[in-house]
Amino acid sequence: MRALAFILGRYLLGLSRRTHVAVVSAISLVALGLGAMALVLTLSLLEGFQATIRRELREAGPHAVLLPKSGDKLPPGPWLERLASVHPELVFRRLERGSGWVVAYGEAIPVLLEVVPGLAAVEVDRVLAARGALGVGAEVALLSPAPVLSPLGPVPRRLSARVARVVPAPARAEKGTVRVPEPLGRELLPQGGREEVQVFCSPGVDPRVATARLGPLPEGVALRSFSELHRPLLAALALERLLIGLGVSLILLVAALNLLCNLTMLAAEKRADTAILQAMGWPAGQVATLFRALGLAMGGLAGLGGTLLGWALATVLDRTRAIPLPKGVFAASHVPFHPTLPSLFLVLGVTVLAAYAAALLPARAAAQRGLLEGLRGE
Amino acid sequence: MSSVAVEARGLWKGYGEGERRVEVLRGFSLTVEQGELVAVVGPSGVGKSTLLYLLGLLDKPDAGEVWLFGQKVSELSPQERAGLRNRKLGFVFQAHLLLADFTVEENVAMPLLLRGERKAKALARAQELLAQVGIAHRRGHFPHELSGGEQQRAALARALACEPQLLLLDEPTGNLDTQAAERVFGLLLELVLNRALTGVIVTHNEALARRCHRVVHLGPSGETPC
Repeated sequence: MRALAFILGRYLLGLSRRTHVAVVSAISLVALGLGAMALVLTLSLLEGFQATIRRELREAGPHAVLLPKSGDKLPPGPWLERLASVHPELVFRRLERGSGWVVAYGEAIPVLLEVVPGLAAVEVDRVLAARGALGVGAEVALLSPAPVLSPLGPVPRRLSARVARVVPAPARAEKGTVRVPEPLGRELLPQGGREEVQVFCSPGVDPRVATARLGPLPEGVALRSFSELHRPLLAALALERLLIGLGVSLILLVAALNLLCNLTMLAAEKRADTAILQAMGWPAGQVATLFRALGLAMGGLAGLGGTLLGWALATVLDRTRAIPLPKGVFAASHVPFHPTLPSLFLVLGVTVLAAYAAALLPARAAAQRGLLEGLRGE
Repeated sequence: MSSVAVEARGLWKGYGEGERRVEVLRGFSLTVEQGELVAVVGPSGVGKSTLLYLLGLLDKPDAGEVWLFGQKVSELSPQERAGLRNRKLGFVFQAHLLLADFTVEENVAMPLLLRGERKAKALARAQELLAQVGIAHRRGHFPHELSGGEQQRAALARALACEPQLLLLDEPTGNLDTQAAERVFGLLLELVLNRALTGVIVTHNEALARRCHRVVHLGPSGETPC
């Protein structure tokens, strides 16, 4: 083992010499390093954008929802107060939901009506604001599906209100939402709507973790967690990361093939060395181990260098906001790079593994090459 | 205990297949006593080096047996042969075959390092041997910085590092000019005879061969002992 480490170290140092094989080795090392760096940058970029999207999701809507398992009404009793006392890190907001219309500029737009206890004035979300060209102070007519009798027969219940605030819309919302105070809501939905409790986490608390720990819930109450609320989007993001990561990993594959060629050349160059080492009593198995270790060491060096360089570059690009984005088009003001520790270890591991795999064939060939071929070929 | 160090019994060895097959050794036999230095001479292509590789456990005969120090070694496993080479055999080749990435001192210490000796101890032994072959002042140099004669001296020191019982030398002066060859051969004889080593030396140089205890002529039709 001592001899193996000694020979390995000297061969690695020997790669700094200006021989043909050393030049090819340098190219292999740089290619592996660049592959690792590209992968770190890509994963950091994806993580940056996905973190932005997750933050938006978190800011735009509830982090979990408690719903009746059947029917429209949640079970009676003080269970919600008990839940709130057990989970001080969470905020619970009870509301009722129904459907209706908003009439703006002569057009009736179907909307979701949310009756929120404690709300002081009417709020519309950004989807509705955009669709109906509504802003703060706009006068709107709210129409309820519950009819009232008039001399002309049953007509929709119609109430006027002024928009006090425009709030973010839930992710991927197709229908606009109007949030109304309880008294107004009672008039619009006299029969009451479908009850639900929206759950919000305090800042700094991960909604996926916090809502997963929620419980025990009373009979008849179902939980839709943060992940369930946003399952399609979160799954798409995960798939995107996986596929782009795999795509960029092809750079590492090409670099590993280059390393394979290089180690094959190195094994041919050192065939006299390995022959004389075997003549001196070194088993052929140790020759194979030497070349596998060389691949591992080269992969480790290139992987570590590339990963550190990628991390440094991603950090600098993110901190200096080097790549700005057009305002109003993207949620972020600049291209975000978030290198994470698991992704750095993943890239390092994949690089080392690719280099090790690339060394297997040359190592086997070096060990199986006839001893006399090396001794006579000199 | 037998005084026979090396015994080759009816060795056959050929290369190639079918019509292209060439039989190099045809039932060759040789016995070398302990402490004896035998020179094998003959024209190119008669199998002198092949014989040395068979005796040195670097190759296997197609037929016949090789015995070293009373042990039949021609059918040992590769692992056992490697162990035996490290413990009992020393080699010097025509081309010095020094490792280019290592200093002369490290090259000489290499057999000991491969055996598992500590580096400091192996290097100390290498320095002793380099002093004995007269190139102690070159210990920190790399092989390419040495002359041909110095390289061969270093190869000789390396062959002696593990204190072998049998020294196998394949044209050790073949690449040297007359004067350098004379000096290296003189040194070789001195070291081998002082240590009472058993040796088999393959050479073209009959004048140098005659300075050994015995000369074996190997020709196309077989061996002719002198």
